[in-house]
Amino acid sequence: MLQPILKIDLTTRAISQFTVPPEWARDYLGAASLAARLLFDELSAELDPLSPEAPLLFLNGPLTGTAGPAVGRFVVCGKSPATGLWAESNCGGFWGPELRKAGFDGVWITGRAEAPLWVWINNGQVELRDASHLWGRGPYEVQSLVAAETAKNVRVAAIGIAGESLIPFSLILCDHGRVAGRTGLGAVMGAKNLKAIAVKGAGEVPLIDWAAYQPVRAQANRDLRENNVTQVLKSLGSGSAADYFDYIGTMPKQYYQSGVFAGAEKVTGAAMAETILTGVSACHACVIACGRVVALADGQKRKGPEYETIAGFGPNLLIDDLSAVTRLGELCDGYGLDSISASNITGLAFKLFADGRITTADTGGVRLAWGDAAAAEFCVHAMATRAGLGAWLALGARKLAAHFGDEEDAVQVNGLELAYHDPRGASGMALVYATSPRGGCHNQSDYFIVDLGQCEEDIGVHYYDRHVGVGKARNVALHQDWRTVGNALVLCQFANVPPMQVLVLINTALGLDWAMDDLMRCGERAWNLKRVINHRLGLTRANDKLPKALLEPYTDGGAAGYVPPLEEMLSAYYHARGWDETTGQPTPEKLRALGLDWANL
Amino acid sequence: MPPAFPSPAWLSSFHNKLNADPQYASIAKKWEGDLIFSIEPDGQFPETVHFYFDLWHGKCRASRTLTSPDEVNALFTISAPFANWKRILDGDLNPMQALLTQKLKVRGNMGYLMRNVPVVLDFARCAQELSKTD
Repeated sequence: MLQPILKIDLTTRAISQFTVPPEWARDYLGAASLAARLLFDELSAELDPLSPEAPLLFLNGPLTGTAGPAVGRFVVCGKSPATGLWAESNCGGFWGPELRKAGFDGVWITGRAEAPLWVWINNGQVELRDASHLWGRGPYEVQSLVAAETAKNVRVAAIGIAGESLIPFSLILCDHGRVAGRTGLGAVMGAKNLKAIAVKGAGEVPLIDWAAYQPVRAQANRDLRENNVTQVLKSLGSGSAADYFDYIGTMPKQYYQSGVFAGAEKVTGAAMAETILTGVSACHACVIACGRVVALADGQKRKGPEYETIAGFGPNLLIDDLSAVTRLGELCDGYGLDSISASNITGLAFKLFADGRITTADTGGVRLAWGDAAAAEFCVHAMATRAGLGAWLALGARKLAAHFGDEEDAVQVNGLELAYHDPRGASGMALVYATSPRGGCHNQSDYFIVDLGQCEEDIGVHYYDRHVGVGKARNVALHQDWRTVGNALVLCQFANVPPMQVLVLINTALGLDWAMDDLMRCGERAWNLKRVINHRLGLTRANDKLPKALLEPYTDGGAAGYVPPLEEMLSAYYHARGWDETTGQPTPEKLRALGLDWANL
Repeated sequence: MPPAFPSPAWLSSFHNKLNADPQYASIAKKWEGDLIFSIEPDGQFPETVHFYFDLWHGKCRASRTLTSPDEVNALFTISAPFANWKRILDGDLNPMQALLTQKLKVRGNMGYLMRNVPVVLDFARCAQELSKTD
């Protein structure tokens, strides 16, 4: 990283900065991978993620703000209050590039402010300002109020009341609804009495060799613009594939219990384009522009839902009303709740109600009936405010299920509620969910897209049928390593940039002379480092599992009859990774080969 | 022997295959739109060929060779070098994989395409089966 990391202790109000050792910047590139190295010594099993001692690190990638292909992103890392494990969540918008222009490549927060405050980073100057007037407000309101107090085009990353009240699936939101949504880092901000970080900068984004980078960047963007997937995402948003996911059975319905929902076709990216879509939105310098702008009956333009929100508040609850799904997503953003977790928990509540384990006595008379959008709204309001049943909803799916019957009913891994890509429709996701360093997450590897055919021959990620199990274990590991490179840059997963082109971008931007093997080794190194961190935080081989629902076959739909052979896949995966099959830990030999001897468990 | 791709005989046989295939008729029963196959020259095939298909409710109403894709305003144009078409027709390249890895390029109404991926895949199946006919 070419710029310093800002360090702020909110307890003492001490502000300092430090420079990342060049060899760390080289070996980990940036963002989540570098954060794992920086935070390695800070994270322990005993550390309470909501304590003042817990670190919270906002970090850019080495290409953030360079107008390269879909690299205008940043990441937030720490220890997750949802999982107790490694936490990372990256985010688009404009905040990351603005931070670089303000002279920093990251912000490291520790401590706890005596009273709510927000951080104002303005062209290298840093202030801690009173946030008492912002506390209790939603992220969009905070953006407006901070802008009124500072500058019109200031970029603000803020939490809502969910983060303030330490809900373990609360998000950090910036710009037009771009979120660091997963692993509950909004609660870590809330625990620190930190409402927002606002940035404004006018500096140049530093690179080793801008002249060499410029034509490579421009060509990569031209190629990306012509890409089939880009064309689809631009036209229909991230919900573009919802129809197909529905057809082949990778989109779960009725809380992962049903393979078919007749109303699914009404809540897709195509349906949005046919009905409420009025425009699109893009992150910094992005040629894809997957963001949706929609207008509902009130005529007001607002953020349209992306795929996960569509699937989670749509078919997952058997809701076929796109306007209702839009409002539910908006409600989550306004409260500062991760819509994947919020919709998953709502689905679980609906299931428990259908099973008779949650009753109207628990809900104050509200019937949590499948397909009832008003009941879903009730759940979101309740969980955000911890009112009534909401006190249990706000604890997350695992604890909700445990309280009302059986923890195994929760569709989660290690405390993180699953996204909406069913391993019964795309078997690679079984390994992805079971071994992700942050729990039930699809962003450490969106392998479902490989299962559909988007292989990467440059790096040995081949195409296997979506219902091949054991045979694709090494393929999954390679794809995880590749996406770890992406998460170090931070390269949006929607950007279908060929690996060879990414290699050239990195070499020219950073003055490196890497081969593809070096790049993949960089990804593998960080993947293994996060694994070691999680073992230090208490993860064992037994944590590599799937929820019960995903190991029971659908009786209908495009994935009917198939269950991924998880145990056999895991054995093959550990072998492919060079991990001990008994403990699930990287072997000393593997760590040594990756230059991680110092991290040996 | 199946007719050579992309000959007029292949086009005619494919037209007939689509209209005789009950599975295609069922899957494509709601399809309303035309498309163009653009076969681009490469080392194996020196010419550019554009095939036009008028597809309607599970049937092929018309097909012909175009001089230029601009002759009609088709719902979709799917283009690829000859070798990639051949790999798809021979069953060596999954059509969805070809789309996702840019071995085929698609332009047109993406909303309609994503609504009807199964139809497009079944259209490809018919073409593959034709190539295997003897």
